[in-house]
Amino acid sequence: MLHIKPIINTLMRSKSGPILLLIQIILSVAIVANASFIISERIALMDRESGTMEEEVFDFRLYAFDSDIDIESQSPRDMRAIRELPGVIDATMTSMVPLSGGGWSSGYTIGNSEETAKDTESAAIYYGDDHMVNTLGVDLIEGRNFYAAEIVTGSPDLATHAIVSKAFAKATWGDEPAIGQIMYAGDFGSQPLQVIGVVDKLQGAWVNSSYLDNSVILNVRLVNVFTKVLVRAEVGTLAQLKEAIPAVLHKDQPNRVIEGFTLISEHRKRVYRNHELMATVLSMMVVLLLLITSLGLAGMVMFNIERRTKQIGTRRALGAKRRDILSLFLVENYIICIVGGIIGGLVAVQLGQQLMTFYSLPKLELIYPIVTVAGLMVLTTVAVILPARKAACISPATATRSV
Amino acid sequence: MFFYYLDLAWRSIKKTPLLSLLMVLAISVGISTTITTLNVYQLMSVNPAGERSDKLIAVQLWSQGKDAWKEFNAQVTYQDAFNLRKSDLPVRQTAMFVTGLAIQTEDADFSPLLESVRVTDSDFFGMFSVPFLYGGAWDKSVDTEAAYQVVINEEINKQLFSGENSVGKTLFLDSKPYQVVGVIKTWNPSPQYYDVTTGAFKDSAQLFVPFSLAPIEEFQSWGNNQSWKRESMDTYSDRLNSEMHWIQFWAEVTDDKQRDEYAQWLTRYVEQQQLLGRFESPEAGAQLSNVAQWLDLNEVVPEDNKILVGLSALFLLVCLVNMLGLLLAKFLKRAPEVGVRRAIGASRNQIFAQHMVEVGLIGFCGGVLGLIWAWGSLSMLSAHFDLEESLTHLDPSMWIIAPAIAICAALIAGTYPAWRICSTNPSVHLKSQ
Repeated sequence: MLHIKPIINTLMRSKSGPILLLIQIILSVAIVANASFIISERIALMDRESGTMEEEVFDFRLYAFDSDIDIESQSPRDMRAIRELPGVIDATMTSMVPLSGGGWSSGYTIGNSEETAKDTESAAIYYGDDHMVNTLGVDLIEGRNFYAAEIVTGSPDLATHAIVSKAFAKATWGDEPAIGQIMYAGDFGSQPLQVIGVVDKLQGAWVNSSYLDNSVILNVRLVNVFTKVLVRAEVGTLAQLKEAIPAVLHKDQPNRVIEGFTLISEHRKRVYRNHELMATVLSMMVVLLLLITSLGLAGMVMFNIERRTKQIGTRRALGAKRRDILSLFLVENYIICIVGGIIGGLVAVQLGQQLMTFYSLPKLELIYPIVTVAGLMVLTTVAVILPARKAACISPATATRSV
Repeated sequence: MFFYYLDLAWRSIKKTPLLSLLMVLAISVGISTTITTLNVYQLMSVNPAGERSDKLIAVQLWSQGKDAWKEFNAQVTYQDAFNLRKSDLPVRQTAMFVTGLAIQTEDADFSPLLESVRVTDSDFFGMFSVPFLYGGAWDKSVDTEAAYQVVINEEINKQLFSGENSVGKTLFLDSKPYQVVGVIKTWNPSPQYYDVTTGAFKDSAQLFVPFSLAPIEEFQSWGNNQSWKRESMDTYSDRLNSEMHWIQFWAEVTDDKQRDEYAQWLTRYVEQQQLLGRFESPEAGAQLSNVAQWLDLNEVVPEDNKILVGLSALFLLVCLVNMLGLLLAKFLKRAPEVGVRRAIGASRNQIFAQHMVEVGLIGFCGGVLGLIWAWGSLSMLSAHFDLEESLTHLDPSMWIIAPAIAICAALIAGTYPAWRICSTNPSVHLKSQ
C-alpha cells in the first residue's frame, strides 16, 4: 500500500529541506539521549536515603568560648535540659551531622595477626552516646545499643565499642556476622573496637564520596569547646525550639554562642544542590529542544503542503483518498526519522564516549538513545499529522483551479 | 538602502507572522540557554587577580611519605609554613588558615557573635590588594612578635562600632581583648582564589588576626585537615609538630627570574628536610602555581559547567538548523515576487542584501528576546536554588555578546537560503505566475 519509492524520489529531488531535518534529528537524538542519561543519573543519586528521620532531626552549633566553663560537667546538664523541653524526642552531642558536608572519616585495621591484617574501606565516624541511635532515628537491626555505663568522656582515642552500618559490615566482613568482631583504630592491635550493633542504614557527611553508606558510631562523648548537638523533635517544633533551646542553655551558662539550627532535610537540599541544578537545567533544555524540533517540523510540513498543493490536488483527482495523502507525509517523516535516529544514536554513543573520557560520567546506556528515537517518532507524528490533515482536506477542484 | 531593506524586511515579517515568530522563538531559546550557561561559566572561570595573576604564587610541597597520597596537597604543614616564612626571597609571603571565634564588645548587652576568622600574616593585605577604609595591616614585626591586633571589615565595623573609624578601639575575641588596627572595605573576590580548599565561591572572612598568635591562642582549624600519617594529636603543639596538611601558603615574586630562584631555594629546602628525615617519598619536591594555574589545578570551574556549555552550544546549533529550514521555506515561497523584482532590474547582490537584512533583523529580535529569557531563567534558578549572587547576575558583557551571537548565527544560517533565492533564474519564477 505504501508507495515508498516515489516518496524517496520526491525527497531526493528537493534535498535541502529533508537534509536539514535529518541534521536536526541527529543532533536532537544525541543531545536528548545524553542529557536524559545525566538527568536520571543525578536523580538516582538524590534519591538515596540517609537512614535517619530527616524531617525530625536537626543540629545546632554550641561554642563555649569562655575558658572558665567546665565542659565535662556542663554538657550532660545541657543534654538533660534539652531532652526535657516539650516536643523533644531525644538529643545527643555529636562530632558530625549526616549529609552536612563536613566531619570525620577514617579507615580501620582488621585481621587475626599482624601479617594478615588489612585496612577496611573508609567510614564516616560519629562520636556519641547511648542516645545517638534513637536521636538519629536509625534502625538497629542486629545486636544492641550502647549501655549508658559504656559511654566514655574525653578524646576520640578512648573509644571501645562500635555500632556499624550494614553497608560497612558487609564491605568489611562479608557474610560473617559483624557482632563481636574486633577492628583496630590504629595499626593492628592498637586501640581495639568491639562491634556490638548493626544499623540498617546510616550515611555519612559527604554525598559525593564512594563510601557514603559506610558509617560507624563510637561510644565517646567528646569534650571540646566547639561541639555540635543533634536533636530529634516532633515535626514542626523547630521554630519554637530555636527560641527555647538557647534560652534554657543561656540560663545555665550565658557565655556561649548557640546558632545554626538546621534540619537534616535542609542539609540534604544544600549538599545535593548542584546535582539538582544540573538536572533542572538539563530537563529544561530537553523540553525546549523537543518543542523547537517539533515546531520547526510542523512549520516545514506546512510549507511543503503549500508548495505541493497542485501535486496533492492532482493525486486526489486521480483517486487518492484523504488518508493516502496523510500517510504520504507520515511515511516521508518516518523515513527521515529512522535514518536520523540511527545516525543520531551512533552520534549519541560517540558523544557519551567523549563525555566519559573527559569527565567523570558513567558510560551511556543504550536504552537512552533507543527511547529517545522512539519518543521523537511519536512527537514528530503529532507534529506532522496536525498540518497534514489540512493537506488532506484540499479538494481536487481548488488545487486544479490554482494552476 | 539599508533602511529601505529594513522596511521591506519588516513588511515581509508581518506577512508571515507565524513563521517569523517561530524563527525568533527558536533563535531566542537557543541564545538564552547558551547565554545562561556561558554566563555562569564565565563568572566561575574569571581570574580575580587580574594582572597580578603571574606574581602571586601558591606553594605546594610533596612532604608526605612513600605510600601516602599520589599528588601534591593543596596545603602545607605548620612546620613547613613556619620554615618557609623565614625565606627572604619573595617580596611578600603569607601563611594562613581559617578559624572561628566569638566576638564580644565592651558593651555588656551585645550578645556574642560567632564569625569565621582568617589567621594570616601582615603581607596578606598587600599581596591580595585588600582595600582599606581606615587604618591598615598590623606592623610586620607582629608577624614574629605576636600581638593582639585585628583587622575587621566594614560590616563588622558597622555592627560593633556603628560605622565610625574604630582604629585603636578594642573588641573581644574568645574573651581576649584585641586592638583594631584596620577596617577594610567590602572585599569578596569570586572565586575566592587565595583559599579554594573549602569551596571557591563562598564569602570571604570578616576578620583577620596575626598568624603568629596561632601557637599562643591555639586557634582551631575550620578548614580541611589532611593527615597521611597516624599520629596522636592530644595537644596543640602535637598538631603544630605533626605532618598534617592544613595551612595555605602564598608568595609574591616580581618576575619569572625571581620565581626560578625561589623554586631553587625550595629544592634546597626539600633536600635539607630530607637530611632531617622528612620528605621520604622519591617524588618529594615543590610545586609553584600562579593564580591562573592554581584555579586550573583546583578545578574551580566544575565539570558540570563545562558539560552544560558544550551541550548548550549543540543546542544552539539545533536551533540554527531549524531556523535554516524555516528560512529556506519562507524565502522559496517568495520566489515569484523575487522573480518580478529581478525582471525589473534588481541585481543579485541587492536581492541577497535584502534577504540578509531580513535575517539579521530576525536574529536581532531573537537575541534581545533570548537575553530576556536568560535573565529570567538566571533569576529563577538563583531564587529556587539559593545560589551565590555572584554566579547569577547577568554579566554586563552579555548585553553585547548575546545580540552579537544571535545576529552572527542568524546571518550564517541565512546565507544559504538567501543565496538560493538570488541565484535562481528569474524566468523560472516568472513563468510560474
